[in-house]
Order: sequence, then structure tokens, then C-alpha cells
Amino acid sequence: MAALLVALVVLLPWVGAIGVVLAGDRHPKTQHITAVVFDVLAGIAALALLPFSSTQTAISISMGGVFGEFSFTPDGLGVFLAAVATVIGCLTIIFSIDYMNGERQLGRYYFLVLLFIGAMCGLVLTNSLLLLFIFWEITALCSYALISFDNENPKAVAGGIKALVITQIGGLGLLVGILVTYSQLGSYDMGNLLSNAHTLPIGMLSWIGFGFLLAAAAKSAQIPFHTWLPGAMEAPTPVSALIHAATMVNAGVYLLARFYPAFVSVPGWTSAVTLIGMLSALLGALMALVAVDLKRVLAYSTISQLGYMIYAIGIGAIYASQLHLLSHAVFKALLFLGAGAVIHGIKTRDLQQMGGLGKQMPFVRNTFVIGGLALVGLPVANGFWSKELILESGAQNLPWSFVVMLIGVGITALYTLRVVWLAFFGERRGIYRVHDAPTAMRVALGILALGTLTTWLLAGTFASLLQATLPFHQLDAENMLEMVSAVLSAPVTWVALPVIGWGLASWYWRSRLTVISDRLRFITYAASADFGFEALNRQVVRIAQRTAIKLRRTQTGKLNWNMTGIVGGLVMVLLVVLIGK
Amino acid sequence: MMAMNLLIGVLGLLGVGLYGLLIVRNLIKLVIALQILAKAVALALVIAGQISGHMNLGQSLALTVIVADTIVAVVGLALAVQVRQRFGTLDIKELSTLKR
Repeated sequence: MAALLVALVVLLPWVGAIGVVLAGDRHPKTQHITAVVFDVLAGIAALALLPFSSTQTAISISMGGVFGEFSFTPDGLGVFLAAVATVIGCLTIIFSIDYMNGERQLGRYYFLVLLFIGAMCGLVLTNSLLLLFIFWEITALCSYALISFDNENPKAVAGGIKALVITQIGGLGLLVGILVTYSQLGSYDMGNLLSNAHTLPIGMLSWIGFGFLLAAAAKSAQIPFHTWLPGAMEAPTPVSALIHAATMVNAGVYLLARFYPAFVSVPGWTSAVTLIGMLSALLGALMALVAVDLKRVLAYSTISQLGYMIYAIGIGAIYASQLHLLSHAVFKALLFLGAGAVIHGIKTRDLQQMGGLGKQMPFVRNTFVIGGLALVGLPVANGFWSKELILESGAQNLPWSFVVMLIGVGITALYTLRVVWLAFFGERRGIYRVHDAPTAMRVALGILALGTLTTWLLAGTFASLLQATLPFHQLDAENMLEMVSAVLSAPVTWVALPVIGWGLASWYWRSRLTVISDRLRFITYAASADFGFEALNRQVVRIAQRTAIKLRRTQTGKLNWNMTGIVGGLVMVLLVVLIGK
Repeated sequence: MMAMNLLIGVLGLLGVGLYGLLIVRNLIKLVIALQILAKAVALALVIAGQISGHMNLGQSLALTVIVADTIVAVVGLALAVQVRQRFGTLDIKELSTLKR
């Protein structure tokens, strides 16, 4: 039964993808329906898989030779993420019915989205490192193609290529890690790596650990690789919600969480993870504070929230990080889709031209505010519980970092209120016709808002699932009521809430605080310049281009010269083989 | 001892062939160099078969190489004819159209 369900979860979206293409762009209605039906079915299959989650391998296909076994294991972590990918995938596809209405090349859009959903499910369910890499790269490809979906817009094309290049650097890290694993252990099995990690020489283990960390940082848009995510906002908004907030960017967090027990003994690994998470959480929040594009604010906030998850993994709070991943996937998808409804309504993303939209789009405003509550971390939204859990573990394990994260929480409150206020309240600043969200959008937004308010009720189930099916992790999981009482009685919560209040209040009194904000002008400058990382990117590109121009001289087009290259290469290979013996 | 002498012959043929490939600029001479290289390989296969005791295997593989490299020669010469007709020269230095 589990095998069938796993196969359905991965293959249904792919079958749907082919179906959409076969339907053809002349029948947009059929395409909408095919996409929705197949993904709803995949979502049902993923939810039905939840009770079947176990440590047993469900499907195993022997590929022979160096490819090993392509196997799938529906353990708690994987099944939960597959459920998130398919269910949020469903909602974004339903949202797309209105958002993408009248778009040419709808087939290409749905094909890539469905291909992505299937690959994401495969990525989290597979038990083979090689297959993980393949799915990892398929998701990167879909992300690239969807960012550049509007291929007549040069900004979209540039953003797509940037995302592709940066995630490929990460993919290289993953590949190195996987190949080192294979050379040391002779198999791609994840369980094998986790159980035998302590037998590996520490040097080899650090290659694997830091390779995976590089992959995770690039995929999850962590500093210094975060620059592709704001550029990715040229994608259609449902894609931003699904790929660049709810699922693909979580793959890095998933990778680190899954292999945390293997690398915890590598010197410097946990501190590197903690540091990357902390920096991203803080700098991401600061950049969100100064961005003027609605979607970019959300993108920077995604970087910041992913930073919280990575930080939690660094300090060993795997359960807290995964719970925050679940909460974040739901509420950030809600925020992005809310932003999509706004953009669809007024055809601009510039916050400075919005304002006062709440009156015309009350439904969107209400759902966006609920998402904002979760982002800030106010009860009773899901973000509150998971963020408090992370902060609590931070305070216990690494008190000084807790202070940094707390500052991040305050800034999060500030920028969230800022974006909500600039978009939905205050005076109207632009001239445009506004219409509230159409039905399909409302359905998606409503379900996600409901989820934002209620997914924390699943915390207990999630905890027991993880505990039962992750034999290598030590999880301090508790049931839902224990979690509630623990969070409410922890002093950390009562420190964090005033900080949130301070963040909210400082937006409210922003006109009186100009003295302070003038003093901090240099931070504003640095944050709007992306703290120099964008310049760093440009520098790297420039150096690469110059080197390429210099190296072009070696391409003479002369046959003799090419023969020299071939013979030289052959000699080198022979030498390596001889020395290897 | 016999095998040793032949091995030196193989190396000699290989050397001549590679030298030709790297230096020669005439397309037809290039095909000849390629042929010399292939003959070195065929000879090496026969010797390898004799040394390892699988004489039949070595000789049949050498025959396969001869067949294959005859085809290479035919295609190479056909290309040379086409190049001569289109560019009016057999000098490969003139064929590069890349920017410098």
C-alpha cells in the first residue's frame, strides 16, 4: 500500500504535466482542470501516505552497477514535506486559474509547475543520494524556467539565469558530498551514511558535511548565496508562493535536518550552520525593512525565516526547525498569494503606489493580516509556536545568539507591520482601478488562512511521526498540549512578546523616532545595497567574463591545435591512471 | 624477444602517427597519419593476443580495427574532397573561420 501511494505521489503530478501539454494551449479550460485534478489527487495520496510512514523502504528499483538502488522510504520527515508540497501545490494551482487566466503558453506553465511538484515529492521521499541529486537538479531546472517564464522580459531572464547559476554552485557541493560518500561507503543509501558516518575519517566526513552545507545554503538562499531569491520574484506570483517560499527553498533545510546526526561530530560544522542561519535571519530582516517592492519584501523575509530554520538546526533543535518549516510554508504561501491577489488587482508591485487597498479588497486584507500575524509570531497563528520553540532552544543552548535572534524578531515585527500598512492601510497613493480577489483566489487564500491558524494543532502528530521514523535523530518531541504549556510557561516567550510589541510600536511611532532612524541611516544604505553581496556577485561575473575573453585565444579552430589538446588530455588521463596504481 | 621488437615497432608507428596528426597541414596527409596510428593499434592488439595467450581474440579484434579504420579513411577522404571543392584548398589552417 505504501509503495503504491509513494508511486502515486511522485508520478501523478508528472502524468498531469504530460496531460496538460497534450491538452494543448488552445484549450485552456482543459489545462486548468487537468492540472487541478492531478494535483488534488497527488495531494490526497500524500495525505493518505501519512499514516503509512515508516522506516521501511517502500519501493526499491535496482539500477545495477554504480547506480545502486533507487529506493523510496516514506519516513515522517519526507511524507510531511511531500504533503506540504502537494497540498500547497494544489492551492497555488487553484489560485493560478484566476491569476494566469488569459496567459499564452499556459501549457508550459502548468507543465513546469507539475513537474516541479513531482520532483519535490521525489526529493523528500527518496532514500538514494544519487536520486536525491537528480530530483534536486530537476527542481532547480523548474525554478529557473519558471522564473524566466515571461521570456520577453529581460529582467525575468536575467533572474532565472542568476538563480540557475547560484543553485548550480550548490548542486556541485551536493555532488561532491555524494561522490565522496560513495567512494568511502560504496553505496548511495542514506541510512547507510547516517549509521556509518562515525566510522569515516573526519577529513572525508567534513568534505561531505560542508559540501551539503554549500548545497543547502545555495538552495535555501542563505547568505552569501541569497542574492538569487529577490531576483526570482520576476516569476508569476503563484510560482513564488510555491517554489520560492513554501517548497523548493526548504529543500536545503530538509537536507541539513536529515543529515544532522551524521555531521554533528565534524568540527566547526554546527557553528558554521548556526552562523549562516543567524546572519541570514538578521540581514534578511534588515533588507526586508527597506525594500519597496511588495514581493521583494516577502522574498527577503523568506531568507530571514529560512535563516531561523537553519539556525535551529545548527543548535540541534531539529524538531523546532521542521515545525517552523511547516508553519512557514503555510503562512508564507498565504502571504505570497495575498500579494499575488493585490498585484493581479492593481498591476503593480511597488509599495509606494499602494496604500488604502484594504477598503477595496477586504478579503485579501484579512487573510494577509492573518499571514502577517504568523510571520511576526503572535498567537494564535502557527508561526508563534514554532518561532518560540526555536527561540527557546536558542536561549538554552547558545544564549548570546538568542539575543541576536531576538533582535531579528523585533525587526520582523517592524517590517511586517510596515508592509501591511503600506499596502492595505493609510492613504491611497496611486491611481488605478481595484477589484477584490475572484473566487478561485479566495478559495486558495481562505484555506491557507485557515491552515495558518490551525496547523500548530498538528504539532503533536508531527512530533510523534518524526520520533517514530527517524532512528538517528534525537528529538525532544512533545505532544501538542505539552508544547502549548511549555511555550506559554517559558520565560523566553514573555521576553519575545514585548520585543514584538516594541517592533510594532516603533512603526506606529515612526514619525517620532526619526532621530534614531536618521542615526541609523548607514544601515538603511547598506541594506538597500544588499550589504554589498550584489556587488560581490557582479564582481564575480566580471572576473569570469574577463577570464573567458582571455581563454578565447586558445580556441583557434585549427585542427592540429585541437589534436594537441586531445593527445595532451589522453596523456594526462594515462598518467593519472598509472600514478593511481 | 620477438614481442619486444614488435612493441618497439608499435611505439614507432604511434609516434609517426601522432607527429603527423599534430604537425601535418594537408588534409590527405592527415588521413594517412590517422591510418598509420590505426595500424599501430592493430599491431598492438595482435601482440597483446600473443602475449596473453588469446591469439584468436587479438587477431579478430585487429581485423575489426582494420575494417573500422577503412571506413574512417573513406569518410575522411570524402570530406577532403568536399573541402577541396568548397574552399579550393586542402590546407587546414585556411579552414578556421573563428574570430581571432
